[in-house]
Amino acid sequence: MAEVPFTKLDPDAHLLLDQPLLRLPHELLRKNLKSAQRQIEISHKAITTAFQTPAAQKRPADALAALDATLAKAQSLKRKLEALNAEERSLHRQQKARIEHLEALHGIPSLADVQYENWAHTRLDRLLVDYLLRQGYVESARQLAVEKGIEDLVDVAVFEECGRIERSLRRGEVREALAWCGENKQALKKIGSQLELELRLQQFIELVRGGEMGKLMEAVAHARKYLVGGLDAEFGLRAGGLLAQPVETVIEPYRTMYSRTRYPHLAHLFLQTHHDLFALPAQPLLHTALAAGLSALKTPTCHSAHAVAVANLSGTPVCPICSTELNDLARNVPYAHQTKSYMEDDPVVLPNGRVFGRERLRVLNEKVGTGRGMVRDPTEVGGVVWEEGVVRKVFIS
Amino acid sequence: MDAIQQAHEQLCQKGNLSKALADVQQLLDHLQSTRDAVAENPDITALHMAKLKHPLKQAFDTIEDDLKEVNKGLNQYQKALKDKFKNSALPTAGVGESGVLARETGLVNRAIGMHLLREGKFDVASTFVREVNEAKQQQATASTASEEMDGVVVDGAAASQQWLQDFAGEHTTTGEGDGGDGNEDDESPMDSTGLGRGQLQKRFADMYHTLDALRNQHDLTPAIEWARQHSAELESRGSNLEFELSRLKFVELYTTTTSDKPNPSDQDDPDQNDEQPAFSGPLRALAYARAVFPALPPRHTRETSALLASLAFCPALATSPYTHLFHNQDAWEAASAAYTREFCSLLGLAERSPLYTAVTAGGIALPTLQKVERILTASRGQWSSVNELPVETPLPPGYMFHSIFVCPVSKEQATDDNPPMMLPCGHVLARESLEMHSKGKSRVKCPYCPQECQARDARRVYI
Ligand SMILES: [Zn+2]
Ligand SMILES: [Zn+2]
Repeated sequence: MAEVPFTKLDPDAHLLLDQPLLRLPHELLRKNLKSAQRQIEISHKAITTAFQTPAAQKRPADALAALDATLAKAQSLKRKLEALNAEERSLHRQQKARIEHLEALHGIPSLADVQYENWAHTRLDRLLVDYLLRQGYVESARQLAVEKGIEDLVDVAVFEECGRIERSLRRGEVREALAWCGENKQALKKIGSQLELELRLQQFIELVRGGEMGKLMEAVAHARKYLVGGLDAEFGLRAGGLLAQPVETVIEPYRTMYSRTRYPHLAHLFLQTHHDLFALPAQPLLHTALAAGLSALKTPTCHSAHAVAVANLSGTPVCPICSTELNDLARNVPYAHQTKSYMEDDPVVLPNGRVFGRERLRVLNEKVGTGRGMVRDPTEVGGVVWEEGVVRKVFIS
Repeated sequence: MDAIQQAHEQLCQKGNLSKALADVQQLLDHLQSTRDAVAENPDITALHMAKLKHPLKQAFDTIEDDLKEVNKGLNQYQKALKDKFKNSALPTAGVGESGVLARETGLVNRAIGMHLLREGKFDVASTFVREVNEAKQQQATASTASEEMDGVVVDGAAASQQWLQDFAGEHTTTGEGDGGDGNEDDESPMDSTGLGRGQLQKRFADMYHTLDALRNQHDLTPAIEWARQHSAELESRGSNLEFELSRLKFVELYTTTTSDKPNPSDQDDPDQNDEQPAFSGPLRALAYARAVFPALPPRHTRETSALLASLAFCPALATSPYTHLFHNQDAWEAASAAYTREFCSLLGLAERSPLYTAVTAGGIALPTLQKVERILTASRGQWSSVNELPVETPLPPGYMFHSIFVCPVSKEQATDDNPPMMLPCGHVLARESLEMHSKGKSRVKCPYCPQECQARDARRVYI
């Protein structure tokens, strides 16, 4: 009956949920480096051109002017690099905290160890903050992170920015999203994202929407600049076609293009792109872990019509799936797969069909004060009292 | 993990922008000194400027090299990450059927809200409830503003938002204060979810107040008060809480001498005051015992007797046979745990946060599930049953809460539709197995023993 308890902790397999934890700061460091590169490129170009005028090479006044301009540019480069360096340091600090958190798991001997419990608590807090951020409950997330002291293990700033841009798109504004695309231009190109094209197309659609001649010309210029000549000819074609269609058209795809549903669509596309770019899972990891856990814990008893009310059980820990918090939530997930019966020692059955371990039945009856030589179903408040002789042994293999 | 650690240290030491920053500073210095030189010696401006050309180019070359170094560090780190996680794709939510929980935002939020409360994070919980409410209102206005916007990631299910009422403070509950006797909401015992409306937060706050008194201040009063109020419910569950708290109170009184307490002026016996300070505690304990112990259920008589017997051994308590009743450091922790357990289960709640238990169990089960999912996807296989996980997901001890019956014949778990049936001989099998086994026969032979019986003699049992 007694099985070898499953307590082996395989840290590498266990870190399944934790890859994004290390990936995100890394992706942000890459982005940081890209920004530094861009700043240096810009300064380099500007400084070189400042010296290229022949006058600057000879006339003192021109030379001084060129030097002053250059100094100002170099100063500004320095300030920008300082800011990026500070950001980098804070990312390194986060990275360190995260590595330490995961490293701690490698030192824990088993799943039954109290250290594991502490670790798992921190992980839960992390997943909760992540979930809250993704749902847009930023204040709750921030508060929880501070109270638990896990600020370096969560990404409040990233999700805050992400949420701000998402909301702006839902409101029908593309400016912030475009700025974001600009900041991540190279990385977006690398993953073949069409987000920017879609946003430019949206700007085009807004110009065309009114049907006013001046705006239409502006739209054409906009399309020339942003929509044609790209890798995807489709965008140019769609834009061209739209020019001939009034807002109230029923012809597809133009009807959809004019539709306001393009904004939630863009918001969704932005989220997808954003999470892709920063190696964030599309779903909150809380969902992933919780769905697996609900199933692993769930038994057919948890939603059985014959389940004993939680409040009537004493002396045994209450099942988390039977508990109010999770019971409804677990209703539609599969229950755990079992290949062997699992029963208390020496099972006996009462006349009402309830099966108990003999010893526990005795203890429970003593607790509820059943008289000597008598027995009752302790899960039934005020139930029938039988003579002890009715208890029958039951064989469960 | 070591490779990641190393790569990280490399980043901190070399793979960062501080070198580039220093080189920009050098460039600045160089520009500044050239400027000073030109200002001082304008006659040879051309020379100064010509001299600047090469260092300028070199400076930017160096800075670009600095960045290459950073890039190298990042690549190394990325490689270490890749090696570490080479076997684990990002897990997808919802095993098999993806995103079961994505449609249940309301229920997930409820679980989180209750979790925050039972962790005692009342501030976070109330911020959370506020933010959920705000989001809900925004959503409502947004959807009325344009019906077109059938949101892509917006979830509806207003019914699942009802939990918010459980969190509402008393000020929002309607119909309170009139104290009418037909009002079920007042003093609401339990509704279908086991919780009165708007009571959750208050109840947990009470629980934390009581726990704080008990665990941190060793003040038994609120806990005893609560236990007394719920005496009948606790008793019907066979709880020992009242007894355990009374015992602690007895011990507390016993071991506290009068000098610890403000001396009342109405002490009229000076002799007792001088000679027997050591007895004042036991005397008060005795008075307490006489007042409280008789009302405890009879199963505690032995232990209460032992406590009273200890009075006879005073003051040589350390050598008395009852010393274990007193010198028990864990008693306060144990009482706190017992209190939490009883408090939660009277509300229909598990003692430990179910969210914690479930997420932790999920973390343990995921690698197994992930592997199976990979195999199933590769072979385009399907689970044999959507109701049941395709593999065993073993959990550590302490994660088993119910007995499990797996039919020895069909190897299937019993369910309400296919319940366990006990034959007169005491052997149990699932109903479907029994039906198969007895098909067309008037008498069935038990598959596990020589006894025969009629199929209709089999009885459903509840395991
Ligand atoms: Zn259960
Ligand atoms: Zn048999």
